[in-house]
Parts: sequence; C-alpha cells; structure tokens
Amino acid sequence: MENVIELQHVHKSFKGFQIKDFSINVKKGFVTGFIGGNGAGKSTTIKLIMNLLRQDSGTVSVFGMNYKKHEKEIKERIGFVYDENVFYENVTLKDMKRIIKPAYKNWDDEAFQRYVNQFELPLNKNMKTFSKGMKMKASLAIALAHHAELIIMDEPTAGLDPIFRRELLNILHELMQDEDKTIFFSTHITTDLDRIADYITFVHNGEHIFTKEFYKIEEEYAIVKGTLNLLDQETEREFVAIRKSNTGFEALTADKNRVANIFGDSVIMEKPTLEDIMYYTKKGW
Amino acid sequence: MVNLILKDVLIQKKIILIYIATIILYLFIEVSLVKIGFLYSMAFITQTFAYDEKDNANILLNSLPYTRKEIVSSKYIGALVYTSLIIFITSIGDFFLNGKEVLFLWKDILLIIGLVMVALSFILPIFYKFKTQSLMIAVGALFGIYILIIKFLSPSLNVTLRESIQKFMTLQETQMYFVAILTIIILYVGSWLLSIRIYTRKVF
Repeated sequence: MENVIELQHVHKSFKGFQIKDFSINVKKGFVTGFIGGNGAGKSTTIKLIMNLLRQDSGTVSVFGMNYKKHEKEIKERIGFVYDENVFYENVTLKDMKRIIKPAYKNWDDEAFQRYVNQFELPLNKNMKTFSKGMKMKASLAIALAHHAELIIMDEPTAGLDPIFRRELLNILHELMQDEDKTIFFSTHITTDLDRIADYITFVHNGEHIFTKEFYKIEEEYAIVKGTLNLLDQETEREFVAIRKSNTGFEALTADKNRVANIFGDSVIMEKPTLEDIMYYTKKGW
Repeated sequence: MVNLILKDVLIQKKIILIYIATIILYLFIEVSLVKIGFLYSMAFITQTFAYDEKDNANILLNSLPYTRKEIVSSKYIGALVYTSLIIFITSIGDFFLNGKEVLFLWKDILLIIGLVMVALSFILPIFYKFKTQSLMIAVGALFGIYILIIKFLSPSLNVTLRESIQKFMTLQETQMYFVAILTIIILYVGSWLLSIRIYTRKVF
C-alpha cells in the first residue's frame, strides 16, 4: 500500500520537549486519526509534515517527495485546517479567496462557491466576525476548492458544537468516496474517530506508540476487570497499566487473547475505547 | 510572487484611503515631498509586517504553495513597488494641489528610494528575526543614542547630516551618483539574502 506521508527517524528538540526517533507512515486513500494527549507532539508532527518546522535529523517525505526540492509541488496538493486562526482578521472571506486563489494552479471557483453555499458562509463579512466553526469551514472550503489530495487537520473538531462536528464528519465521509484522497487529522475527541477513521496513530511524550487499523485495536486491546487477589508481580506484567481500588482492579491489556488464557473466566473483559487506551498508556508510562 | 505583493495591498485596502487623505493634508501644509514619500513608504511596509504577525499569516503563507524565498523576496520587491506608488500619488497630489508645474524632481525621487532602501536594509532583517514590537524598542534606543551623541559628543551631528544630504542633492558628478546607487543596491541585496537566511530557519 502506498504511503502519502512518511516520517523516518525524525528528531526534533525544543526547550523542554523533544521528538525522538519518530517514524510514522500515513496510507493513501484512508482516514488516519492522530491521537495523543496535550503536549504529546501532535501539533509538532503536523508542523513537520507541513514544513513549518524543520527536523534536526531524519527525513520527512510527502507524496514521495522531500521539501527541499519539491516544496511547491507538495503544498499544491495539500489542504490544511489548523486549530488556530490563520486568516487576516480585517478582510472578508471574498478577499481571503482573492489572496489564496492565485497560489494554487488548480483552483476551482465553482467548487469554492458550492462549499461556501453548503457551509452557509458569508462572503462579505470580515473574518473576525467568524466563529471558530465558521473559520474551520472556511479553511475546509479552501482546501476542497483546490482539490487537495491530502487533507491535514489539526484539532478540527476542538471547540465545535456537536452538530457542527457531525456535519464535518459527514463531509469528510463523503470526500472519502474518492479513493485518491487521504485525510490525516489530530484530535482528542476520540469519539469522532469511531465514525470515520480507518487507522489510528497514537503518540505519547514525543514517541510513536502505534499505528493500527481501527478494528485491530478492538481485537488486540481489552479492558480487564477483576478482584485484587488475581494480581501479583507476574500477572501485573500482562497489563499496560492497572488502576486499583478497594473493590478490585481495572486494567488495559494489549494482548486480549493471552490475558484470556491466563485469567479465564475469573475476569471480565470489555471493549476499550480510544480514551481508555490513551489514559492507561499515559498512566503506564 | 506578484500575488504576495498584491496581497499586501489588499489587506490594507481600507487604510489606503486614510493614507491618501493624510498625504493630501500634509501637502496642504507643505510638508516636504521627500519626508512624505519616505514616511509613508516606511509606514506602509511596516504595516504589512504587523498584519502578517498579528494574524498568524506566516502559518498560512507557509502552508500555501510558496517557498520561503518567495515570501521574503515579495517584501523586498514589494517595498520598491509601494514606494514608487506612494511617490506617484504624492506627486500627482502635489501637482493638483500646489499647482507645481514640475512634478517630482528626479533627485527627490532618487533620494526617497535611496533612503527607503537604506532604512529597510536594516529594518527588514530585524522584522524577520524578531517581532515588529522589538523594532519599536530598537528605534527608541537608537533615538536615545542619537540624542546623547548630539548632546555630548558632537553637537553638530544634526548639521553634518543635513549638510551631507544637501551635498548629495547638489552633487553634479555622475560618478558620485553611481557609487552611491551601487552602494545602496549592494546593501539592499545583502539585506535581502540575510533575510532569506533568517526566514528559512524560522519556526512557526
């Protein structure tokens, strides 16, 4: 399967934070959800992919090309939606379009107009009057108007109301009917991913924990509940992390079948949510 | 690149009228054309940086298919375009208001462009390296030093400066002009390359 984004052995250090030997691949034609807690390195990774940051070492390639030689070709094919505002506040969306349109070779005015109508965006109001959701939609309309093959979004659903969120997910879902499109988005609202993500990439503390197909996560991981007397030094090793209380323990395992063999019917196993996985991974770190 | 230059005009669309109105006002009270031309050019360019900074535009511009080299170059080329436009507007205004037969003296034009280029050669790399705010601090500090020099070291500095500008204005020898123009161009290009270097390493 073809990779749209490849990061290999990337190192980047800042004051007080670093990404070490970081390698991830994003597969073409799928939606990859990018999860991790605050400060895990999600935004840094996205900035590396967008060439807003340069890595200290390692390679970043997008569409099989590197930024050193092919910056324009790469960005021509990327659509971006950021968490923070990137629009000039004192101009209208119409002027914003005038600014952005000539940057792209394959800008499609008709498509832009169609999305503006669909998202009910006002063309003649200053960007500063736009709500967070409207700005997100404006970014998306721009991304879609130049027929981006890869859409990169940094926390697009953060701060949006549930209706907006669902609308966004529907639009993305529609978009994915086209097999050549790839979506990579970071979020910490993990329930969004249940609806559309094919792959999940999980980072923690500047390190890549895993990239897996969504359904496989459910096959491999499990929440295990049981009484405290089942735990000893040996069995505790089977878990990513354990939460103990007076009444018993709850723990996350990355190998559901093995735990089932060890404990048999003495424990209850449940399907974990992504939040469970994030929570226990952080705890076990 | 042309798009980036147009963008800087577009985002100031609403202020341009204010610029023109105040230029006319200054012409009425007969402020020298060189002063108007220089100050407005500098104001316009500084303003484009302030907008880019305030609204995170660097993230936007760097996510669009532009190279960092183009983004920096658009400011350096743009600066000359805006300055020419401002000179043009000012001289038209002067022509209608004060009825001057001769439009701008070509020496005035050269002086404005020269001053703008020299000033920007120092200012733009600072803008790229730091925030625009830091320039205000730098200007304040330089002004303080300037005052101190006048006060204690060389009371005649102001006069010397004025004289050397006067001298430049009365220069006849084309050779001297040539040297001055060449020096300014080298300074400007050097500053341009420095800014590209700074901006390429910048983190957003």
